[in-house]
Amino acid sequence: MHIPDGFLSPVLTIPAYAAAAPLWVWGAKRHFGPAQVEAMPVIGSLTAVAFVIQTIMIPIPGGTSTHLLGVPLLALLYNPLVAFVAESLVLGIQALFFGAGGVTVLAVNALAMGLLGPAVAWGAFRVLRRLGPRAGAFVAGWVSMLVSALAVAAALGLQQALDPSYFPTPFPVVLGAMLVPALLTGLVEGAYTLVAFSLLARVHVREHP
Amino acid sequence: MSIPEPKRSRTLATGWLIAVFAISAVTDLRALAVLSVLAPLVFPRYAWAVFCKLLVTVIPLAGLLVAASWAWLGLVEGTTPAWQPFAALFLRPALIAFVTFSVLKRVDLLGAVAAWPTASRLLVVTLAQIHALRLLATESYQGLRSRLPMKPRANLAVRSAGGVTAALFQLASRNARDVTDALRSRGL
Repeated sequence: MHIPDGFLSPVLTIPAYAAAAPLWVWGAKRHFGPAQVEAMPVIGSLTAVAFVIQTIMIPIPGGTSTHLLGVPLLALLYNPLVAFVAESLVLGIQALFFGAGGVTVLAVNALAMGLLGPAVAWGAFRVLRRLGPRAGAFVAGWVSMLVSALAVAAALGLQQALDPSYFPTPFPVVLGAMLVPALLTGLVEGAYTLVAFSLLARVHVREHP
Repeated sequence: MSIPEPKRSRTLATGWLIAVFAISAVTDLRALAVLSVLAPLVFPRYAWAVFCKLLVTVIPLAGLLVAASWAWLGLVEGTTPAWQPFAALFLRPALIAFVTFSVLKRVDLLGAVAAWPTASRLLVVTLAQIHALRLLATESYQGLRSRLPMKPRANLAVRSAGGVTAALFQLASRNARDVTDALRSRGL
């Protein structure tokens, strides 16, 4: 689902950095400071797991790829901002060491996969957990994948609308190519979120209010 | 007199950021082709190693993406799309990745972010975790292989990995706790 470097122009990537930067500072200070040091091992582990599962990418037509996210679980356990910072870190490491995604598009990818998807997952879980936390976790994982795919498609579609010579594939084509695989990958994401959430609840990882 | 670390790493990192954003703004195919020829001349040291790394990371994925997009667009629109924008779309990520990998060979990343303790802490914990998970996955696979007379197939390796995931996660958590404690004891 990563947008690769060079698929979005600075017209989009620089404003995305401007939007993401204050959220990074706020999220890092609020959730990753010395006062939250007790949560760091779990967050670090889940970030590493997210890194591992995000490296398995399947290219799809329309300009990007599909893969699991892993970070909506962090939004459920802690906060969407934790997921945002963790996903940004994953994207940064992938871009720097493996060439996946990229540095210029890091903020766009982080906002799509680290903030929008997990924030909707967090909201969905809070609404649905009254029906049962397991069902809530599954739906949260599934919906986060769809929202992230939609956000990535929207960014690519906007680039095509701004300059078709830069990115030639129009929005409806990208949208179709992204949403159909996301519907299926979302089921796996939902299953991962459900299993990991149940496992972590069993080993008493605290769910934050 | 050479610039001391970490100032040198920070200067290189800043120059690299400006360069990659500048490359991401280039749409002209000829300009991208010229830059692709110039890049190895600007970074001759490690150029072959970086190119080999690109061959197994960025080039196959970007190539597949661009080819699939070109074919898909042609299928949907019923015409053959112009190849030039797609060629530029392939060259940009490859060129940016070449510059990125070349600069990273010359930059001490942890030194460059040392001024920001939270960023350093996050980076160290996650890198340590990735390393721990890779080690654990390798050990798990080798353990499985040692119990079988032949090399295990991919589906068997995945099924066996499912059973040890919980144990791996607990080990990874313990490792992350050790790293965090070590960082705390050093005042980070």
